[in-house]
Amino acid sequence: MLQHFFEQLQANSWIVAMNTSAWMSAVLEVVHYFSFFVVVGMIAIVDLRIMGVAGRKQSAAQLAEQAFPWIWTGLCFAVFSGFVMFAGQATEYLHNSIFHRKLLVILLATVFGAWVQHSVSKWDRPPGVPARAKIVAFVSLALWLGAILMGVDVPAITGVG
Amino acid sequence: MYELLVAFCRWIQSTWWAQSILTSSWAFPYVQLTHFTGLSLWIGTNALLDLRILGVGKRRQTASQLSEALFVWNWIGFGIAVLGGFLLFSISATIYIKNPAFRIKLGVLIPLALLLHIVVQRKARAWDREDTPVAAKLAGLAELTLWFCVASAAVLIPYFFGPGDLP
Repeated sequence: MLQHFFEQLQANSWIVAMNTSAWMSAVLEVVHYFSFFVVVGMIAIVDLRIMGVAGRKQSAAQLAEQAFPWIWTGLCFAVFSGFVMFAGQATEYLHNSIFHRKLLVILLATVFGAWVQHSVSKWDRPPGVPARAKIVAFVSLALWLGAILMGVDVPAITGVG
Repeated sequence: MYELLVAFCRWIQSTWWAQSILTSSWAFPYVQLTHFTGLSLWIGTNALLDLRILGVGKRRQTASQLSEALFVWNWIGFGIAVLGGFLLFSISATIYIKNPAFRIKLGVLIPLALLLHIVVQRKARAWDREDTPVAAKLAGLAELTLWFCVASAAVLIPYFFGPGDLP
């Protein structure tokens, strides 16, 4: 079922066109890297602020409000470019366990990101950020670093990228 | 001059740190992780400030407040990225040094982008008015664009690998 769907996806003329042109693949890669830098960097600075190790003179809630619209924008770009690259070799990724783990870690990291965004204004009140919040922020940061680690392993193992 | 550079690259590839990464079965992805973690912090914090100066997105903080909040981790990110990049260079220096994309990235784009970043960071306070000067917006946009070009040059490095250049 999934195998069949992935075969169809891989044969789609748009997907084939985007993955066989050297220029398009380069553009996809640049967009993927740059947008994930933006996502991870901005999430990291919000997490570090909540953990109390960055920019303590400014409010965590304000920093989060400034950053999150860009984080979600960046994530859309990263997911879209990632999807097109994945679709070009969908059937190979179907059995790639590192790729599965990467997706799982990104999904978890996104959930934690949404949790931080949802709760930061509640956490950012006197007498200070609760310990629980710092743990959530730390886990969020660790998950994004884990996502990068899984990501660098994917091309190394499948020989693409 | 070029011979000297090549000799330097050969030496750096023979150093203990380059050799231990090359012979290790697990180190390479962690070196990449280091480079990408630093880059994320650097690009993420740069983009946050540049976009604020451009005036797009939320305006919960002024550019100078944001610049102050991001300053320390901005440069920590840069340090981590340079460390990771230096290690990545060390293990295949002789291949990188003749790669046109790498040369443009390190020799032209990074120095330019870095220079502009320092200008933006130093000027953020002076530009902090209701109506951000046009020059400030141009500088912010140019910085963001230059870092995008740096990333593009980096992605293009493998496209210029010759036969036998792949590790």
